[in-house]
Amino acid sequence: MPFAYYARLTRSQQAIYRKSDEIVEVRLPHPAALHPAVTALGAALQTEDRERVQRASERLIRDLIDALGVPPVRVEVLAARPHAKWGELHGLYTVERGRAPRIQLWMRTAKQRRVVAFRTYLRTLLHEVGHHLDYALLQLRDSYHTEGFYKRESSLFRQLVDEERAARPSVDAWFRRTPDERLARLASTPDELAGVIGRRGPRALARRPAPEAWAPVEVLCHLRDIEELFGERVAAILSMHEPALPAAGPSDRWAAERQYRRHDPGAALAHFRRRRGESLETLVALSPSDWQRGGEHVSRGRLTIDLLVALMASHDDNHVEQLTRALEDKP
Amino acid sequence: MPTMEEYATQPREQRMQRLARTADELAAAIKGQDDAALSRRPDAKNWAAKEIVCHLRDTEEAFGTRFDQILAMDVDPKLGGANPDRWAEERQYLRNDVAEALQAFRTRRAETLQTFGKLTSGQWDKGGLHPVRGRITLDGFLSLMAWHDDNHLDQLKRALQGRA
Repeated sequence: MPFAYYARLTRSQQAIYRKSDEIVEVRLPHPAALHPAVTALGAALQTEDRERVQRASERLIRDLIDALGVPPVRVEVLAARPHAKWGELHGLYTVERGRAPRIQLWMRTAKQRRVVAFRTYLRTLLHEVGHHLDYALLQLRDSYHTEGFYKRESSLFRQLVDEERAARPSVDAWFRRTPDERLARLASTPDELAGVIGRRGPRALARRPAPEAWAPVEVLCHLRDIEELFGERVAAILSMHEPALPAAGPSDRWAAERQYRRHDPGAALAHFRRRRGESLETLVALSPSDWQRGGEHVSRGRLTIDLLVALMASHDDNHVEQLTRALEDKP
Repeated sequence: MPTMEEYATQPREQRMQRLARTADELAAAIKGQDDAALSRRPDAKNWAAKEIVCHLRDTEEAFGTRFDQILAMDVDPKLGGANPDRWAEERQYLRNDVAEALQAFRTRRAETLQTFGKLTSGQWDKGGLHPVRGRITLDGFLSLMAWHDDNHLDQLKRALQGRA
């Protein structure tokens, strides 16, 4: 079923549309080879540094283009999205005569100027790459937004965000579970980390799997310091009416400033365990109405304790997995 | 060494200049000291020079977070209490490299001064409720920080001489 604008196209345009609509997948020969570039892009977005996002975006797009054997594109990462009555521009693909085509990506929202969420940014990047592939790989004379086009974008997304990660419960999924299930998840994390680390010593735990990916000890220190921040946020919410919750970090800045790689991993885990115990002690004593109390975070909007606990559960999942990967030398 | 109350009587510009000098004064105080000397506590309870630099770095960040909260709210926020000894232990100050810690403090301090430089006269009077000191305005924080710097610089010099 073509989109409504199909009827307004000329016959030759309709032929291009139909061809685009028929192709529902772009297969990457070795998707896992691109996963480090995806991880690096996520890390770059967290730093909120435009140049790093530019470099990480270029790398991922170059890897994609090399994997598919198509000509290069120029990549330009810009700050806040332009906006108009119809909405915000997320990305743009332009073809100029005599020059390599250009992909432009905006990393901040138009009004609030927040950094775009990783999955949204990756989707936009793949969307614009999709236009390039329409011409360069599929040899279409135009690039239309067909159902097939969106399916191809999704197929790339699925291959890049690997199955394991996709299967993990998201913040939303944790949010739908009962408070007890979430608290049980939080309570099990220190032991889970201890189990994953086993008998490995400080040297193995200080090794980064890639220059921009954290070593296991950095993950432990991050969890410890975030637990402290979580405690402060809960305390602020409980002691005030809808307080402002200031932004913290960013996490990479903490890792650098606080020199996580020099920390003793055993002590970091023990201190995380102590902080986590304190968090649980506070949380189990709360009434159901306390769980709905909240504050206003500068970039995330209103955060209730209910939502913060779901965020923490998902955050634990992410970092246990990241630490496990790091121990296997995978970023 | 001026008290906090004496600092409060100084013009803001003068107090801000005091804050601007601290990173260089710390650098001068630790110059030529080896890691063993910088890591030596004068006694079991009192911090080594290195721990004092890390404390100033982390406190600078915490001040910034408080200022953000005060500026973002229409009413005075209740400010959380700090636990500097717990930070020294958990953040493993004794394992830090002091030059890196000082550089991080320098960057954070420059950001603080930038924040102060942009405040309007009305914003200087905004404040929060400190668990020990009661209501404290941003102007009060400026005096507190000037005094806090003096205090820790002095403590650092004593620590390097093996005195608590």
